[in-house]
Amino acid sequence: MLILARKAGEAIAIGDGIKVRVLEIKGGQVKIGVEAPAEIMVHREEIYLRIVEENTRAATEAPADLSSLASVFGGDKTRIKPQPKRDK
Amino acid sequence: MHAMTTATCTEKQEGITVSTSRFGQLSVNPEKIITMTSPFLGFPDSKQFIVKPHGEESPFLWLQSLDDPKLAFVVIQATILIPQYQPEIPGLIRQELQASPEQLLETLLVLTIPRENPEGMTANLLGPVVINSEKRLAKQVLQDPTRYDACWPVFTMDHEE
Repeated sequence: MLILARKAGEAIAIGDGIKVRVLEIKGGQVKIGVEAPAEIMVHREEIYLRIVEENTRAATEAPADLSSLASVFGGDKTRIKPQPKRDK
Repeated sequence: MHAMTTATCTEKQEGITVSTSRFGQLSVNPEKIITMTSPFLGFPDSKQFIVKPHGEESPFLWLQSLDDPKLAFVVIQATILIPQYQPEIPGLIRQELQASPEQLLETLLVLTIPRENPEGMTANLLGPVVINSEKRLAKQVLQDPTRYDACWPVFTMDHEE
């Protein structure tokens, strides 16, 4: 991992199109500005981790078959409406 | 006179056979394979999937990996579950999916179904799977976390609009 020391106002450049600038350092928090081309998705890491976590749960919990679901359908509380005809 | 088109044109069904842990050997039509332009987060090695309907009457679909026999997600078309759900798809992601700006893209929601409590089923609205069905390209497109939840309860009487 590349480690760089930066002061408030200073930035690092990643490739040609991305700049990450330290805007403010206050208390235990650092405010960071990211300039990046629109096609680069910038998210807080937690969002990625959240999706990784949920994908993993979905994949590992996925039942061997869906027969267990038969019982949950038919009640009024389901918001799942009848399946429209699938196009071939 | 019509030549009999009975034995319907001898299209080559060059199905490839894939082994899966849930469905055993599956014969897959290569034209039905969906390629992820970037893989599911957490599953970098699975790029190719097929959509396998759970059954004629069921709203559920399986998204089965062709790269990992064990990996399959239960998904549902967003329009069935939440007709008003409109995930944001930035223009550059449309490009990545080779879709024109006005092209209608299909959205699937990944479901998490707790094994012991299927009624606790949740849908991932934070990371919908957006598919260009013409080109068979798909991507999990992250949404705004202040608007959408990664585990939105499917069965509940509480959040009626």
